[in-house]
Amino acid sequence: MRRGVWHQCGNRSQKLVEEQLLLGAGVGVILSPRDLSRDGAIAYAKRYRTAGADVLIDQQFFVPDFTNAQCGTYPISKFRTSVSALNKISDQDLIDFQNELRIDHVAFKASAMIAPAVVYEAGRADIVQLNSRLFNAAKAVASELSIPIYATVVLGKSVTSSDQTMQSTLSQATASNCDGWYFGFEFEEERIPSVRDTIRRCCAAGLTLACTGKPALHAYAGPMGLLSFGFGATGVGIGHSQNLWQFTRDRWAPPSGEGGGGHAPPRYFSKPLWGTIVYPDETTQLPLTLRNQIWSPSPFNTPVTSGLPWSRWDANKHLVYVLAQQYSLMAAETDPRKNAKAAIALLDGAVNLHAAIRQANVFLTDKTNVYQANWKLALEDLLSNNSADFDFLELLR
Amino acid sequence: MPYTVDLNTVIAMFPEYSFIGPLTPSEQKAAFHVKDKAGVDLCLKLIAPNYERDRLDREILALQAIDNAGVVKLVEYTFSSKPGSWRHYIVEEFIEGQDLQGSIIAGKPWLAKAVAGFFAKLCDGLTALRDKEIVHRDLKPANIRVRPDGSPAIIDFGLARHLALPDLTQTAAGADIGTPRYFAPEQFEGTKHDIDHRTDLFALGIIMYEALTGESPFFNAGMTTRAQLQQAVCHSRDHLIKTSFIQLDPRWCTLLSRLLEQERAKRPADAAQVANILRKLGGI
Repeated sequence: MRRGVWHQCGNRSQKLVEEQLLLGAGVGVILSPRDLSRDGAIAYAKRYRTAGADVLIDQQFFVPDFTNAQCGTYPISKFRTSVSALNKISDQDLIDFQNELRIDHVAFKASAMIAPAVVYEAGRADIVQLNSRLFNAAKAVASELSIPIYATVVLGKSVTSSDQTMQSTLSQATASNCDGWYFGFEFEEERIPSVRDTIRRCCAAGLTLACTGKPALHAYAGPMGLLSFGFGATGVGIGHSQNLWQFTRDRWAPPSGEGGGGHAPPRYFSKPLWGTIVYPDETTQLPLTLRNQIWSPSPFNTPVTSGLPWSRWDANKHLVYVLAQQYSLMAAETDPRKNAKAAIALLDGAVNLHAAIRQANVFLTDKTNVYQANWKLALEDLLSNNSADFDFLELLR
Repeated sequence: MPYTVDLNTVIAMFPEYSFIGPLTPSEQKAAFHVKDKAGVDLCLKLIAPNYERDRLDREILALQAIDNAGVVKLVEYTFSSKPGSWRHYIVEEFIEGQDLQGSIIAGKPWLAKAVAGFFAKLCDGLTALRDKEIVHRDLKPANIRVRPDGSPAIIDFGLARHLALPDLTQTAAGADIGTPRYFAPEQFEGTKHDIDHRTDLFALGIIMYEALTGESPFFNAGMTTRAQLQQAVCHSRDHLIKTSFIQLDPRWCTLLSRLLEQERAKRPADAAQVANILRKLGGI
């Protein structure tokens, strides 16, 4: 697994990803059947590889009975069914499942295989067994194709809500003899997760996976990927769409309305704020000194400094670029403690800057100032409570 | 109660072998040091009539699948039942030397470099088991032979579990078999689904702790009940504050505390990872 930024393709983001790769932002791309038909995805996979990226396919069995027109173009979609039906999958059907996995991974020239898995839930031994069965089936194919196999560990809300449940679920999920981890967390409904204990718990879970000594890709990380290299992740999955900023089942819910924010103004992602601010409605309210402090350089934000109109697509590109730049810096540092401290420093600055914005009587409509302080505290908790884990990682390096 | 067979009886049963002498029997097997016609030293194990066939088949399957110096080699398995003649036995490589039990002595810790070298090789054997999805479930000094060159070999797969096959244990829980002194928490309090390769790593941690500190992390002579041992293994952290432990190089403390984590997720991922660390710590 290449260390650094992995673009997680969402709906209508394929060209954006290619543009980022050509700018040198990112080491890999994760494609998924939900967002692009199979033929289109194969064509893009080739272009991404040409741009120097590794390609993975996330078959996304998290909500296994979800399907749409794009999913239907992948032969493996015939296995998209309920958890209870998957639990009863016969050995013969599993061979068919393996064949479809094999065909897709050959066609995409994937650099590794992400084992399909459903979301882990507390007290669901059947899901543990199902995921183990799917993993073993996928591992056999990956072994035949001589590519690494990554076990998928996406922990549902019922798991991320308590330390004990988290650890016991991880004990079961980490029994797989895999070559790496593809992991994510489901949180309570929030635009960006902000509960200190939950964040700390998820960081600790990521650290546990890193302590296996196997590469670990934090999927659906988005801006939260700032924390990932601080708990030992190898890769971070990012995308512009908010349904890629955390693992959320909404991504697989039937669409309601227009989606994508309608005609809302663009959001400007500011590295110093580590969050977004509405452009130009909120940015123009800031005193000039603060306005100067929030700018983050990118090839896509030229109009912003002049107050000119700015497209939402450029705002999306800007966001991905700024995240990728920051994460690439952190990926170059292999000591997780140093990365955690760097993230804490950045978040500390963001908290102070948000305080200054409030003092200037500017109130951000998206509540994008509610999580930075808790992320910082969660990382500080991690550094002090999990020092033995960091010591063990040090022993592995 | 060990299964024993009179030496004269067994000599009459196996004229093809020269008998050197009896070896320590287990509950399921009577064992003898023999030589074949070519003069090769072997270990002949006669299977007790009441031993579960399915479990023995598993043991044979496990041994057949592995070819590693850290694991005893299976030479032959025979089960024949004819009128007036009944033979059920396995022949294994005979490992000169002694059990590790004789070298793990209370109050006599090993040098760290010796621990690193010996246990790195032991981990190679455990890695071979992991590769075949086999959990030994009864790793203890008595089940580790020390070859004349000082390298280890894991023996006695009577309780081994093949994770890819259905479990044979009939009890409801099914985790509680093996030797309590080297039990992992999941063997005391878990179900059979909680047993995996990291169960053996916990036992490895206990043995390594004993070798490095000269004392057991959990067991002490004052313990009179199994419940006391269970409490120590499953809930106590006292082994991390024993004087003999905290005097170790911090890297050894990190490794041992990790091997003895109560949650499997917190233990090293596998024996190969432990072997790598041990080689960094001076093991060959």
